[in-house]
Amino acid sequence: MRLEQQSMILSIFASAVAMMALLSSGAIDQVAAAEPEVVAKNLDNPTGVAVSPKTGHVFVASHAGVFRYDPASGNVTPEIVGYPTDVYGKGPMYNIGPLGVAFLGDDHLVVGDGSRVDLEELVRVYKISDTPPDSPQKETDAVATLGPFPYNESTTKGEGNFYGVTVSDSAIYVTCNGDDTKGWVAKAQIVDGKPGKLELAIATKEATGVDAPVPITMSPNGNLVVVGQMGEINIPGDSLLTFYNAKSGKMRRNAKLGLNDVTGLAYAPESNRLYATDFSWLDTSKGALYRITKVNSEEPKTRKVCDLDKPSAIAFDADGNLYIAVMGTAKEGSDEAPGQLLKINAGDL
Amino acid sequence: MMKQPSECSSALVRSGNRQFCSALLAGCLCFAVFGFGLSLTSVIAADGDIPAGLDKISYPKDNPPDEAKIHLGKQLYFDGRLSEDNKVSCASCHDPAKGWSNGDRFATGVGGQVGGRSAPTVINTAYQMFQFWDGRAGSLEEQALGPIQNPIEMNLTLEQVVAKLNKIPGYREQFQKVFGTDVTSDGIAKAIAAYERTVLSGNAPYDQFKAGDESALSPAAQRGMKLFTGKAHCTACHAGANLTDNAFHNVGIGMDRDDFDQGRAAISKLGGDTGSFKTPTIREIARTAPYMHDGSLKTLEDVVEHYNKGGIANTYLDEEIYELKLTDQEKADLVTFLKEGLSSKDYPMHKPPKLPE
Repeated sequence: MRLEQQSMILSIFASAVAMMALLSSGAIDQVAAAEPEVVAKNLDNPTGVAVSPKTGHVFVASHAGVFRYDPASGNVTPEIVGYPTDVYGKGPMYNIGPLGVAFLGDDHLVVGDGSRVDLEELVRVYKISDTPPDSPQKETDAVATLGPFPYNESTTKGEGNFYGVTVSDSAIYVTCNGDDTKGWVAKAQIVDGKPGKLELAIATKEATGVDAPVPITMSPNGNLVVVGQMGEINIPGDSLLTFYNAKSGKMRRNAKLGLNDVTGLAYAPESNRLYATDFSWLDTSKGALYRITKVNSEEPKTRKVCDLDKPSAIAFDADGNLYIAVMGTAKEGSDEAPGQLLKINAGDL
Repeated sequence: MMKQPSECSSALVRSGNRQFCSALLAGCLCFAVFGFGLSLTSVIAADGDIPAGLDKISYPKDNPPDEAKIHLGKQLYFDGRLSEDNKVSCASCHDPAKGWSNGDRFATGVGGQVGGRSAPTVINTAYQMFQFWDGRAGSLEEQALGPIQNPIEMNLTLEQVVAKLNKIPGYREQFQKVFGTDVTSDGIAKAIAAYERTVLSGNAPYDQFKAGDESALSPAAQRGMKLFTGKAHCTACHAGANLTDNAFHNVGIGMDRDDFDQGRAAISKLGGDTGSFKTPTIREIARTAPYMHDGSLKTLEDVVEHYNKGGIANTYLDEEIYELKLTDQEKADLVTFLKEGLSSKDYPMHKPPKLPE
């Protein structure tokens, strides 16, 4: 679907719409009553969500580019476009573009790419205006470009597929899914508000023995990098929750989550509760949002909040409302992209 | 005559779909503990007995290990009476003297029938999340009864094997002692699985080197280990303590055949799993030739050459399989590491026990 077409059909739901068929549940502690509201639909394989700390606008990375959702007006507009296309998976297959997003300061968006072959992919930083632009930025309009990671001693395959992005006071962290022997988290120091060189910093595969660092966030005190290790997509229950010292990169804790394919991680503001999404590739009827309890123990527990159809990313706004990107399932015979942006109000979590 | 490969799970057999159960002598895992002279305590993998470099074993809640059960399981593993012709035991295809495989390209069952996949090693199966090359069994207990019922492996129904073993007083007595019942299929599965979990190999030179003993590996093996985790890209799949990700990958084996083996896709029904097979452990790999799910590569040199060229191109080839451009010296070093680094002096060379009468 072309951008123009997609922009035209992107629609907003002002009213709360009960989301997601409540599909089968697995071995879950509890199913809460949270019902996500669909705030944007017809998104094409959304994979990243970030909320502007300044405006509260929500930015969603998808195959067709990065889109902006304005909660006040309900409008959805294209923000950054022009990415090429790559494909993830061999059946099912998903067209992908930019993958992960996070804010650097109040008005810069860091975007991790997945639209090229691994060793050519980049992490770009864009200046974001307070209001939607008259015409979207092009991919190449970035104010800073980090990477790529070609063959070298650290990655003999080259790195790429920058799925998750998080930003601390002093650094940008990006999960990489190109070189499965290392599973790097890349890091760029921030100096005077600007990112420095992006370097391969934490070899998560070597640390954990498990593939695929995907979601990433900072601990509430900013001292730890928190990584969800997705594991193999055709193996159930192998996802990990892993904590690394933000300065040294040394692993502090590593525990099985009991989830199939963790894709989103975010701490709620004020409560500091940690939430995670499970895509559950093998059986997507088990996709869901979870609250993680006993986070600091060797055996964290998960409590299901609600079922979701292929959830791919989550982010909180400053008020504690949770935004969730879901890739969704197309209706038979429909040409519409099934991806959605969902919202759960703070009081419902 | 070689049969067509298929998915011969016990469920298929029970449902009467024997026509689907051709090949696959690959998964015949049974067991039995050592001779009576051996202290059984030494073969129980209590946490303190787990070889260096391996993880803790997670035991099923309904099948905790104990000495008597493991002893019984070992007898069952080595006993040909679990087959129709009294000649094929689990050990026939999973022989301790042959790397707990059989040394042949395919496994051979009753009447000399030959399957379509190689016999995977039993070593460290305690850590495998799935059993069989296509992972159709989710536990050792589930796996253990499959080959007994497979028409070209051991070819007995569960009712037949239970009746047969109940006529052997030594088995009946042991089942009463271990399970409080006469011989049952559930008991057979649990005993065999309990024994299988004692077949462990760790404390290899690789483990000792990682633990700080720099003399544990020769210079060539050290170079090979660096390639293993780097340019040769092996740890993309062969990672963790047991050197396997427990997952399924299409590594471009047999994919040039029109009737290539569907592998995991036949179980998962996911197109992306087409031609994918379980990543095996490569501990003790020097003992388990021939290699790959179809036994098509005779030597480790052949295996390295296969991966060096990037496998056989196909739609479902794993993205981690690509041309490696290893030099001849690098290929030799990698093979040296595989042979030297992953072979333990504590290899589990179990011997057949005395069988009950």
